[in-house]
Amino acid sequence: MENYIIAMGVSAGIYALMALGMNIIWGMAGLINLGLVGFFAVGAYTSALLTVKFGLPIVVGVMAGGAAAALVGVIVSLVTVRMRGDYLAIVTLGFAETIRVFATNEIWLTNGSDGISGIPGPFRGALTPVEFNSLYLAIMVVVVAVAYVLVERLSYSPFGRVLRAIRDDEQVAAVAGKQVLLYKVQAFALGSVALGVAGALYGHYTSYIAPDIFVPLLTLYIKLALLAGGVGNSKGAVLGAFVVVFFLECTRFIVPLIPAITPVQGAALRELIVSVSLLVILRFRSGGLIPEARSHLVVPAALPAPTRS
Amino acid sequence: MTSLTRSISRRSALKAGSAALLTLAAPTLVRAQSASLKLGVLTPLTGAGGFDGPRMLKAMQAVAEEINGAGGLLGKKIDLVVEDDQTNPEAAVRAARKLIDVDRVPVIMGTWASAVTTAVAPVCWESKTFLTTVSGADSITLLPHQGYLIRTQPNNALQAAKHGEFLLGLGSKRVFIMSIQSPFAAPTQAKLKETVEKAGAAMAGALIYEKDKTTYRSEVDQVLRAKPDVVYVNGYAPDVSVILRDLYRAGFNGPRFAQSYSVTSKVLEALPPEVTEGVYTVAPSADIQSPAFALAAKRLKLEAPDSYETQATDWISLVSLAIAKAGQAEGTAIKDAVRKISQGSGEKVYTAVDGLKAIAAGKEINYEGASGPCDFNEIGDIIDCKFRFQIVEKGQFKFLKVA
Repeated sequence: MENYIIAMGVSAGIYALMALGMNIIWGMAGLINLGLVGFFAVGAYTSALLTVKFGLPIVVGVMAGGAAAALVGVIVSLVTVRMRGDYLAIVTLGFAETIRVFATNEIWLTNGSDGISGIPGPFRGALTPVEFNSLYLAIMVVVVAVAYVLVERLSYSPFGRVLRAIRDDEQVAAVAGKQVLLYKVQAFALGSVALGVAGALYGHYTSYIAPDIFVPLLTLYIKLALLAGGVGNSKGAVLGAFVVVFFLECTRFIVPLIPAITPVQGAALRELIVSVSLLVILRFRSGGLIPEARSHLVVPAALPAPTRS
Repeated sequence: MTSLTRSISRRSALKAGSAALLTLAAPTLVRAQSASLKLGVLTPLTGAGGFDGPRMLKAMQAVAEEINGAGGLLGKKIDLVVEDDQTNPEAAVRAARKLIDVDRVPVIMGTWASAVTTAVAPVCWESKTFLTTVSGADSITLLPHQGYLIRTQPNNALQAAKHGEFLLGLGSKRVFIMSIQSPFAAPTQAKLKETVEKAGAAMAGALIYEKDKTTYRSEVDQVLRAKPDVVYVNGYAPDVSVILRDLYRAGFNGPRFAQSYSVTSKVLEALPPEVTEGVYTVAPSADIQSPAFALAAKRLKLEAPDSYETQATDWISLVSLAIAKAGQAEGTAIKDAVRKISQGSGEKVYTAVDGLKAIAAGKEINYEGASGPCDFNEIGDIIDCKFRFQIVEKGQFKFLKVA
């Protein structure tokens, strides 16, 4: 049981890191990115290839994974510079599929749909599964904590305020003399770093990546995490990620307790519960468990907050 | 920030936390009371494998019931703990962790998609848990699994060679193969080419296509330009349905050949009969003359259980016999004992219950399964397998032969 809870903690940590990245792009800058699994894949593949094919240390792989994802983030944000809202969502969704199709077909580089197995993990060979999972959980806690502090700092900084201004009204921000494009590109790049690092850490944890992992389902889980926790604030992102993993896993234990239900019906029911819960959150608590604060430590709310559409 | 919002969220967080602990503890409390022997099942119940997974599960449940009715295993009732792999590697790993760490199962039976099996396999061997699978990718048995994995499905090389021989037997001279992008695409195409060309026929061409497209018209045009006399569509049900329709619309009426997992009875129901008329299907088959096959059919109340149902029957039989042979339900014990009951010169047995009786009587046994002889080489691949060929006539399957 302990090992299972530890392992789910690691999963939740990876989700939390992705949610933090998503929070910069979507929560702060208001750019609807449905392609986050693409950045996750870029990070995962970069780190896996560098460590497996070139034998580089894991730390270098993870950092390179974050950097590669950032680079791709810059490119994607420049390509989609004139798009907002639904259109941006569609294009980023397409981007993630492009990455997956690329990984499936460029067999010389990615080993195609066979995927890359045997990705090294820190001290994997020398530790028992419980020890390895505990070590990895510790790593995840540190990484998520660092990311959390950085994102919080970012959010309170003038930079974060400009991002929120852009989110709320791009033209007003532009009139105030802010270079909107530059901020958007930076937001995309910074968010992508978190997504790429999450991908790299996922690969080193499970030791195997394949294109089939990088499907929109994962994007939806993260979106659900952010919606559940509260869009636009880091606490909500982290809490939401844990809530989602907890929720996904909890249904495993609860559904079999329902009498006269076959495992097949149970599996369908689990998926149903996830979608219904998303609807319920959107209907009754659209701000999430921890709604975005109207002010923060540095700047008090002097004026009533404007209502957002 | 108002202090009010903050305190509410903290309170609700606390509530959520305590509810969490309760729900996690509840099932363990319920389950701790029963003295049963837990075996893990991880089949796809949703997603692309959602057609085969439930039937494999049913086959395993039937055998478990039969064993339980005959007194159980090691004096305990078998309790199958079922999880859904969602045909997704990430979800499957979480499900496998739950089976291994919470239910402490010695074996996980049933992974279907190759990517899922490759993702779950390291979790299993690191935790000394045995894994049985139908996934066909050749790379799977080459993983460093230390013996903790067996596969009852013939690998691609074995399959493609037999498929090639069948196509040659139809008198084909120009074979075209279109494969879905997957781990089995390249090895299947290579082995088919080798088999076909060795017999003096030619490959009209080969292509690899993307899954989940609404039309494959451009791929079909490419096929027809090569003027093949037979088209082998090597994919899954959703795409093969579309391709068969596009081939029909494009006027191709020569023989088409596909795996039976891609032309299922559901596909026949969904497509007009003229589209599927004359489609050949192939599946790794049980030796239909084998008594184990007849017994499995009777147990499942089916006229002819398919390859997956018979393989699932064999997993749980092999695992139960290995546990009985070793005298303990541990992954390592199953790994060490499985070849002692599946092959060799012992008395041939065709069901788990008969095998258990023979083991109890102190005899050496050789389990001959419903899916085949179930003899494994050192990396966990089966050594021999039969194939079942069918043709579709008026929207119905017609049995051709097992060879």
